[in-house]
Amino acid sequence: MNWLINTLGSSVGKKLMMSITGFVFILFLIGHLIGNLTIYVGPDAFNAYAGHLQSLKPALRLMESGLIFFAIVHIFTGLILFYQNFKARPNRYEVNKQAGGRTLGSATMPYTGLIILAFVIFHLFDFTFVDKTGRTVYDIVAASFSNPVYVFLYIASVFIVGIHVSHGFWSAFQTIGINHPKYMPTIQTAGLLFSLIVAIGFGFIPLFISLIS
Amino acid sequence: MTQNINLTLKVWRQNGQQDKGRFETYEVSDISTDMSFLEMLDVLNETLTLEGKEPIAFDSDCREGICGQCGSVVNGRPHGQEKKTTLCQLHMRHFKNGDTIAIEPFRARAFKVLKDLMVDRGALDKVIQSGGFISVNAGGAPDANAIPVSGEIAERAMDAAQCIGCGACVAACPNASAMLFVSANVSHLALLPQGKLEAAKRALAMVRTMDACGFGNCSNERECEAECPKGISIINIARLNREFFKAGFFSHNE
Amino acid sequence: MQLDGNIPSGPIQDKWDKHCFDLKLVNPANKRKYDIIVVGTGLAGGSAAATLAELGYNVKNFCIQDSPRRAHSIAAQGGINAAKNYQNDGDSIWRLFYDTVKGGDFRAREANVYRLAQISNNIIDQCVAQGVPFAREYGGQLANRSFGGAQVSRTFYARGQTGQQLLLGAYRSLCRQIGAGKVEMFPRRELLDVVLVQDQARGIVTRNLVTGEIEKYAADAVVLATGGYGNVFFLSTNAMNSNVTAAFRAYRKGAFFANPCFTQIHPTCIPVHGTYQSKLTLMSESLRNDGRVWVPKTPGDKRNPSEIPESDRDYYLERKYPSFGNLVPRDVASRNAKEQCDMGKGVGETGLAVYLDFADAIRRDGRDVIERKYGNLFEMYEKITGDNPYETPMMIYPAVHYTMGGLWVDYNLMTTVPGLFALGEANFSDHGANRLGASALMQGLADGYFIIPYTIGGYLAGNSLDKVSTDHPAFRESESKVKEMTDTLLSINGKRTVDDFHKELGHIMWEYCGMARNNEGLEKARGMIQELREEFWKNVRVPGLEKDVNQSLERAGRVADFLEFSELMIIDALNRQESCGGHFNEAYQTDENEARRDDENYSYVAAWESKGVGEEPVLHKEDLEFENVKLTQRSYK
Repeated sequence: MNWLINTLGSSVGKKLMMSITGFVFILFLIGHLIGNLTIYVGPDAFNAYAGHLQSLKPALRLMESGLIFFAIVHIFTGLILFYQNFKARPNRYEVNKQAGGRTLGSATMPYTGLIILAFVIFHLFDFTFVDKTGRTVYDIVAASFSNPVYVFLYIASVFIVGIHVSHGFWSAFQTIGINHPKYMPTIQTAGLLFSLIVAIGFGFIPLFISLIS
Repeated sequence: MTQNINLTLKVWRQNGQQDKGRFETYEVSDISTDMSFLEMLDVLNETLTLEGKEPIAFDSDCREGICGQCGSVVNGRPHGQEKKTTLCQLHMRHFKNGDTIAIEPFRARAFKVLKDLMVDRGALDKVIQSGGFISVNAGGAPDANAIPVSGEIAERAMDAAQCIGCGACVAACPNASAMLFVSANVSHLALLPQGKLEAAKRALAMVRTMDACGFGNCSNERECEAECPKGISIINIARLNREFFKAGFFSHNE
Repeated sequence: MQLDGNIPSGPIQDKWDKHCFDLKLVNPANKRKYDIIVVGTGLAGGSAAATLAELGYNVKNFCIQDSPRRAHSIAAQGGINAAKNYQNDGDSIWRLFYDTVKGGDFRAREANVYRLAQISNNIIDQCVAQGVPFAREYGGQLANRSFGGAQVSRTFYARGQTGQQLLLGAYRSLCRQIGAGKVEMFPRRELLDVVLVQDQARGIVTRNLVTGEIEKYAADAVVLATGGYGNVFFLSTNAMNSNVTAAFRAYRKGAFFANPCFTQIHPTCIPVHGTYQSKLTLMSESLRNDGRVWVPKTPGDKRNPSEIPESDRDYYLERKYPSFGNLVPRDVASRNAKEQCDMGKGVGETGLAVYLDFADAIRRDGRDVIERKYGNLFEMYEKITGDNPYETPMMIYPAVHYTMGGLWVDYNLMTTVPGLFALGEANFSDHGANRLGASALMQGLADGYFIIPYTIGGYLAGNSLDKVSTDHPAFRESESKVKEMTDTLLSINGKRTVDDFHKELGHIMWEYCGMARNNEGLEKARGMIQELREEFWKNVRVPGLEKDVNQSLERAGRVADFLEFSELMIIDALNRQESCGGHFNEAYQTDENEARRDDENYSYVAAWESKGVGEEPVLHKEDLEFENVKLTQRSYK
């Protein structure tokens, strides 16, 4: 097993873990967003979707455990990388200027990542780990989004997710070695589009609910 | 076209590794815009010498952009603001009269400051020593045309092989990572049929040494590519990643 | 002392093979018992250090830069010659041999040059095996181009960065040996003395350029691959750190210095443009394959080049040398540029430049083709001058580029000091009085990969060498001498900087010992140098400390040596009362202003022996015999 530790423990290996787990979250975001779209059909459709999810219990538990595992790997590795990268330049530059490689997304990855972590915890406590007796899932969501502060918080957070993904998407491809002049531009465009879809797709839901209620 | 300009220079002065270092400000006047940046520093050093002060230590050798020995961070940019240019090839016509220019050494944990703008980039040599070569002794090579290499592959290998080892990629990287440097070397040799035999061993050894030297991790910020005086692409980093995973998961090397 | 080149007997094509057989061998198990010092990590030094380590010797390798990868071989642009005849255009070892001897104006040793031509093919094989990405045809075969002074396409190249790629090939081999522990690498060291024990070279004294410590290293043999002395002219295409110190201090220790006046002025460099300039930049000679050299027909024509019609242009190289045209050898091209400028036809602000025009080539082949061939050179030109050579002709002027002279060596590349070898540009080499394009890389690598590994074994096996440690009195004596010089330089505290002296010396040398020389000028220059040297030791200012990074002190030591060495160049130039190759004495020219040799009286290598500071050096002659090549007046018409 030495070889596995050596490979994954190296700088490139750690990046591989970030990339693979990142891909998982991209898939999760896609699934989550598609499911959430039922909310536009109406409360019943949304509740039915939630109910359907609950009926798949063993599979759902498996997916949830998987997500938690990947999240731990992603967060833990990310923190190690953040720390190591910080240590790699003990004396900072007095004058900092960029050459045009960095983007808003790439420059803020660790910070947006931590914000997303906080948001996810908050989100779980808000919607998942709540007393569901006598309330439908839609009721819980609607209750939250009747509070403008919550609406703002959710919109801001999913935009931050969008920023994180704007770098993470193409970066995950680059890290696993997929970069070619023929298709890299497409991957980059797809990444930007995807981050916009995530930000707008999720961001519009709180707005929509607070408007109709 | 040629003009003379006056400048204010804020130069990092540091007397050895133990010293904390500080900026010192110098005024230089009558700088011809045809001068290179290092010639401008030469002029300042001549003045300092005659004033009884110690001249600024900085590295340079070929002064034609190929040896890779020069390099400082000028106004926050390694080798200055011009694209695909080493510091020795940066000319003063890119500055305006009255400009203030801040000059700092390349900064990274793996590059110790020796004095003023001079740094120790020996870590880059160490990485090559760990595997950045093809193991062939003098004397046993087959006829050169016995190993055909398609023109296209030779061109791509050459794109990577152009690296001058100046360390600007490390200096530019927000994480002080040396991935562009390492990937250029790995790519050059992995692309050629001669280099494929040792590709797995090479990728593993070079990444391991790179990590041990204290460079940061790549986070695909692309600053290295933007600052590289030879325009080396991060496509090479993707190739290094592929080579590394191939080696780590599918070869018999550990 | 009678100079013996140790040239093997027999037919020229068998000499090297026979010699290799005759050389004594060191048994593989015994090689690890020998320590060898190699100074320099360029094509010659780097390849020698790597190859000697591959054989099993313990090598200590020194370089002045921060990494062995920076040696100035890296700046060579154009290519490397080999007699592969891959192009099927009539090339052969004999032809490369003949071209090189003729190109050198018949002042090189036949046997050495023949060996060089033989080995040239092995070099290409070795470099390809190491992964040097030479240019290729689409089908995968190696590409070649023709290069100054040759009528066949025998030059292998990697874009305009052939030197870089070859050097990095040698560097990688060296790194492999460093990684394996067979080479101990000492970067940022400057050689300050060669140490002799019982008249054999047994070590060196260096200054650590980071700590300022004087360090001593002992070995069984010392190999100098420390490059040329072009920086004696201050402005040259050499790197800032290139210097004569190692070779000159070896000369002071008894190694003869051969043909110091043979300096090569490269015809295609970016012209000088100011007094602050620190170096000159070469534009590869390969540009002359497609560029056409011209000046306006009328002196003083200051029109923009685009406004000068064809009828008012003089393509003087094509006119004077119809068969070689723009591809005449370097010395001929340089001298002609000077001649045109002397006639007042020079262009640019200073009038010291000629045009190199690509308009016809771009029209013929298209901009894409030209860009693929010379893109990086055009870019470099634009960076330096601010002009775009795709639109306006380049301006070029000759500049000091290479020095054919160097430490005298025999067929084994050993100097007159036993155990002290000189390789590459540091020796007086195989180029005679003029080096052809793409031959320097060939010679450096031949010396390092394929000659010294054999001949050093012959020396070590043929001599019983006692172990010597750095505590030996000879080391301590060297060390104290070196320290004394450092102390003196730091204590003068005068009013002029080191560079100031260096620039003045450069002016004197360029003016009187440059492209064209005459006896009166040389005499005058000698006096000027002596005066300047005297002033240097009274009035130089070297700031800083001994035990610290001190770049002024480094330069001061080098300039002190240049001030001595330049006089030796003058003495040699005065001695050689003929014109040949890079040495053009105005009194000796043909009716067509070509160099006129005097084979009867000067067909020899002039090797100078130092008799100490302030003493006249003594001339030793090694007669050159030409058995395979007929001496002719060089003609490129």
